[in-house]
Amino acid sequence: MSGLSLRGVELARAGFHLGPIDLDVPPGTATVLLGPSGAGKTTLLRATAGFLAVRRGTIELDGRPLETEPPERRGFGFVPPSLGLFPHRTVERNVRFALEISGAPDAAARARRWIEHFALGSLARRYPSELSSGERQRVAMARALAAEPKALLWDEPLNALDVESREALLGVLTDVLEEERIPLLLVTHDPTTALALATRLVVLERGRIRFRGRPEELAAGRLDRFTARFLGYENLASREELAGCGDPARAADLLSRAGPGGLLLPPEAISWAPGAGSATVRSIRWTASGWSVTVQWGSLTVRAESGSPPGRLRAGDRVGLSIDLEKVKPLDASEGVGA
Amino acid sequence: MRAPSDRAVVAPALSAVLAASLLGLFVLPLVALFAYVGWGGFLFAVGDAGFWTSIEFTLLASGIAVGLGLLTGVPLGYLLARYRFRGREVVESIVLVPVVIPHLVVGVALLLLFSPTSPVGAFAQSLGIPVINAIWGVVLVMLYVGASYVVLSSQLAFRAVDPETVDAARSLGATPGEAFATVTLVASARGIATGALLMWARGVSEIGAFLIVAYAILPSPPWFGPVTPPASVYIWNLYNSSAGLLPAASASCLLVLVALAIFLGVRLLDRSGLSTPRGGWLS
Repeated sequence: MSGLSLRGVELARAGFHLGPIDLDVPPGTATVLLGPSGAGKTTLLRATAGFLAVRRGTIELDGRPLETEPPERRGFGFVPPSLGLFPHRTVERNVRFALEISGAPDAAARARRWIEHFALGSLARRYPSELSSGERQRVAMARALAAEPKALLWDEPLNALDVESREALLGVLTDVLEEERIPLLLVTHDPTTALALATRLVVLERGRIRFRGRPEELAAGRLDRFTARFLGYENLASREELAGCGDPARAADLLSRAGPGGLLLPPEAISWAPGAGSATVRSIRWTASGWSVTVQWGSLTVRAESGSPPGRLRAGDRVGLSIDLEKVKPLDASEGVGA
Repeated sequence: MRAPSDRAVVAPALSAVLAASLLGLFVLPLVALFAYVGWGGFLFAVGDAGFWTSIEFTLLASGIAVGLGLLTGVPLGYLLARYRFRGREVVESIVLVPVVIPHLVVGVALLLLFSPTSPVGAFAQSLGIPVINAIWGVVLVMLYVGASYVVLSSQLAFRAVDPETVDAARSLGATPGEAFATVTLVASARGIATGALLMWARGVSEIGAFLIVAYAILPSPPWFGPVTPPASVYIWNLYNSSAGLLPAASASCLLVLVALAIFLGVRLLDRSGLSTPRGGWLS
């Protein structure tokens, strides 16, 4: 098959076991490996690139087995977290590196094409130390693509970028995938990058896949507690916390909708009413999306959002809570659907 | 309480005063030397053919020593920078020994090891490589007292190279050898060159060990000139002669000028863009 394919890939190093991992990254698509530090994302990417030996399993690129090939013969455009730009070479000579190594007769012209593509023409004679973070990212991208790779492997590509540069680079990456029709396997610990770029999303935890699916399946399908917490969801209530909430009558309602891992109560599903109630205000903050009020409701601590100001509400006040049951989601205890 | 702006002025001013006092310590003795020698003494030294022979010999021996220092010291620096192995700390300590050991002791040790009556000396002699009072004795001394600078400088330089640049080079099609030659070595060139320059300077300024193993150099390949001591020993001989201090001081001035010319030449070459960012490999 075309594209990148991993089957039953396993490896062990320094007490850490990764896998077995099965992955398919078709041409023109981006699979994003997401997970906390130590989940095994970078280990999997480096094994795919050929810098770590796999213990079991197969890695194929366009049907060609790669497990025994050295990194220089695998055909990947690999970009490490630091980008790995050569500090002693100008932008132009960085981009030209692969073409020089392969002895391409038209190295300068081909490098020029990618330099222009990434709008690096005015920076061509500068050294990496003279560039901004965003410019360095573009150079890394141009250099990887100038080698005409059959797939891109990218480790934390948008690290240390401001929002504007990040958005711009996300756009460029998407265009490149579309134009070049090559697969991209990308590692990040940042859910925002992952959700913005991924055709398919793979969440890793301690060397195992915890979620696999399209980003939109996260909204439609059921989530496990780990994935939901990692993706930044708030108000993850366990069944025990729901049972001990401040209103026994409503606890039954909530429990009836909960999964084995409890219930996700999105902040926008919760509203408060000042006056006598079963919840106590713990804090009130203004955020970019409106007023945020954290309340203690029996054994449950939840955050609610409101576009309107909370009036004279103070920490310690009693409030009544209402929850829109149509917006709550059940949580699985472990693996999610789609895996 | 002192305002931050005051501190911003005081700290550089204090640094400048301290730095100037050290530079003064470097320069003032030389000023005294040149003032004592004067123009006449200087011209006398320029016309001393024996001194130029010793300089020619010293440059040849130090060139060979630096070449061998790079050949052996750079790989050792690389191993120490990139690999963790049992006994690494012991190796690092051994590298530092020549820096602290009195160099007369180095001379005695090399004499014991390479005297023609010792097994190693006899073996070297049988290969046609005389050591005592021969160019190879001078090269060995220079290597012993100076190669540590190459090892330490290249170790630091290699350590400063981001290993991910090497990974990137590999994925861009470079074999391990190509990645080393085009990325690691070039990016470290400045540090390695600094180590080589320090080694050269240390070797040229050596005297203690030369007095024991290389007092007078007899012609043997690759030195085909007349019998001569190394430049530092030549100056020592002048100092101990009945002619007084002036000839020794005059020759010393010339040696300082030769060394300065070489340092300046290397700096200019560096600035002309032989390699690395901003076209230079010396820090």
